[in-house]
Amino acid sequence: MTFFDLARKNAWRKPLRTVLLMVSIAVAFLIYGLTASFLNGTQGTAGASDDILGVTSAGGRTQPLPMAGMARIAADPDVAAVGYVTRLRGFVDVEKNIVAINAADPDRLLAVNGKGLGLTPALVVAIGHARDRVLVGRALVQAQGWGVGQRVTVTAFDTPREDGGRDWSFEIAGIFEGENAATDTYFMIARYDYVNAARARAKDTVDAFIVQPRAGTAPGELAARLDSLFTNSATPTRTQSERQFLEAFLRQYADVGLIMNLVVGAAFVTLLMIVVNTMVIAVRERTFEIGVLKTLGFSRLGITALILGETLFVFAVGGGLGLALAKLATILAGPELGLVFSAPVFVKGLVIIVTVSLATGALPAFNAVRTPIIKAFRTR
Amino acid sequence: MTETATPYIALSGIRKGYRIGGEPISIFSGLDLAIPHGDFVAVMGPSGSGKSTLLNMLAGIDRPDGGTLRIGTSRLDQMGEAARSAWRAHNMGIVFQFYNLLPMLTAAENVELPLLLKPLTRKERRIRVDRVLDLVGLAGREKQYPAMMSGGQQQRIGIARAIVSDPGLLLCDEPTGDLDRKSADEVLEMLRFLNRHLEKTIVMVTHDPQAALYARRTLHLDKGDFVEEKRAA
Repeated sequence: MTFFDLARKNAWRKPLRTVLLMVSIAVAFLIYGLTASFLNGTQGTAGASDDILGVTSAGGRTQPLPMAGMARIAADPDVAAVGYVTRLRGFVDVEKNIVAINAADPDRLLAVNGKGLGLTPALVVAIGHARDRVLVGRALVQAQGWGVGQRVTVTAFDTPREDGGRDWSFEIAGIFEGENAATDTYFMIARYDYVNAARARAKDTVDAFIVQPRAGTAPGELAARLDSLFTNSATPTRTQSERQFLEAFLRQYADVGLIMNLVVGAAFVTLLMIVVNTMVIAVRERTFEIGVLKTLGFSRLGITALILGETLFVFAVGGGLGLALAKLATILAGPELGLVFSAPVFVKGLVIIVTVSLATGALPAFNAVRTPIIKAFRTR
Repeated sequence: MTETATPYIALSGIRKGYRIGGEPISIFSGLDLAIPHGDFVAVMGPSGSGKSTLLNMLAGIDRPDGGTLRIGTSRLDQMGEAARSAWRAHNMGIVFQFYNLLPMLTAAENVELPLLLKPLTRKERRIRVDRVLDLVGLAGREKQYPAMMSGGQQQRIGIARAIVSDPGLLLCDEPTGDLDRKSADEVLEMLRFLNRHLEKTIVMVTHDPQAALYARRTLHLDKGDFVEEKRAA
């Protein structure tokens, strides 16, 4: 028998109570795992790079930048490659089925962010065979049930065609996989030359330039230098890393991360109160036995370790189960829901398990160690 | 009550009192006691005479208000709580009236409890547990839980737990108070064996005159002072 065995056996004295505690903890960590995975996946920042820079209008992302700015950016000696993108948003079949299209130069996109998106030269060749061809991300393909060679029609919300229509028809030339599971692939890549020629307005403009700095270049310094190029132009720019760009982009609709963190935080505070209350009662029920242990020579530290070990055990089993269920849910749900249970989410979960379990055990442990043995013996 | 030889337990001028309902109650006001190493002392007396208070102070779970309390080379009256905990873990075993075994632990695990505080390997702990369980006649019942045992057997587990770390001092608080006569005699025989053959110094608080007969001497406590001493024939 070890100290931990003793703590474990204490925890199992009332199996039903312990199981219910573990279930409530598991549910809390399932909620945490799912929300953290959702934030990680759908906010798109998990797979975003800190090294790739996005140059957008300082006046807002909806303000286009003239294509002419690309030459000035490319002239900077610390820029390895530069691409550009114009974003169309629309729906397929029904308005709820929203999709996004990034219109870009495939060759430049390959050079700038081919690795991150999982683009290959073969895919670039495939999209080059016709102007209305697109590459579709794996998550979007799976969600829509599309296949290579299929034609899809996207009805754009705010990008009308020259002919007055808003329907854009594309042929799927290939599927890009993304660098890893955290990469956002719920969109398609179209050819800029096609979209630019066909759209009714904002011709020869882009929503953003994408910059790949040379190796060894500090992205922050380069960003400041690029912005200084356009300070006195008609379209001042704001250059951010891809991660900053995405975070800010998402924050303009709502701070989903903050909202979710508040929800999870409220759940954990409630859980903490329930478990602390239960643990205080459980330990108070054993005041006499704690007196016996102290009489045998168990120190304050030893008693504290026992009680903290007990709460750690309950949280480890419950929390571990919750995280495992969250992982399983993200596997079963697939990437189209944007759930990415990454290693940082898991590690953060473990840290929360340890921290909350210690916080939970602190009060009953404090009560137990400060109760004199004589007083403990009077409780029987 | 003093011994001429260097005593193993020495209490001198012990004062102890409590407040009950705001009123100060004096239990001891200058108690002296000397117990040599290897003695087996029974302490008897009416309720409220101070028997339990004396035992609690000897166990280091209560401190005198004044006077000196020495056991071996340790001045318990000067020790803080942490030091007294450590002292108890290494120098004293205690046998309770109601055994006070932990119900979720097996017999062997209950006996093993004090050994968790010592730097022993699992195997060393197991050897010691097996040895004392054999000594108290409960070999083969290692995996039984207290609820599956009779009162006499539980008390023998309590004794095994008290001696497993090989302390010099054994304190017994009414060890036969919850047992029938036959079981009580078995337990008392065991205590006598531990005293005579393993040289444990034993202080036993009891109300049972029959139990006191197993001790080498019996001290009668009344109103906070020893009023009579009887030595075994």
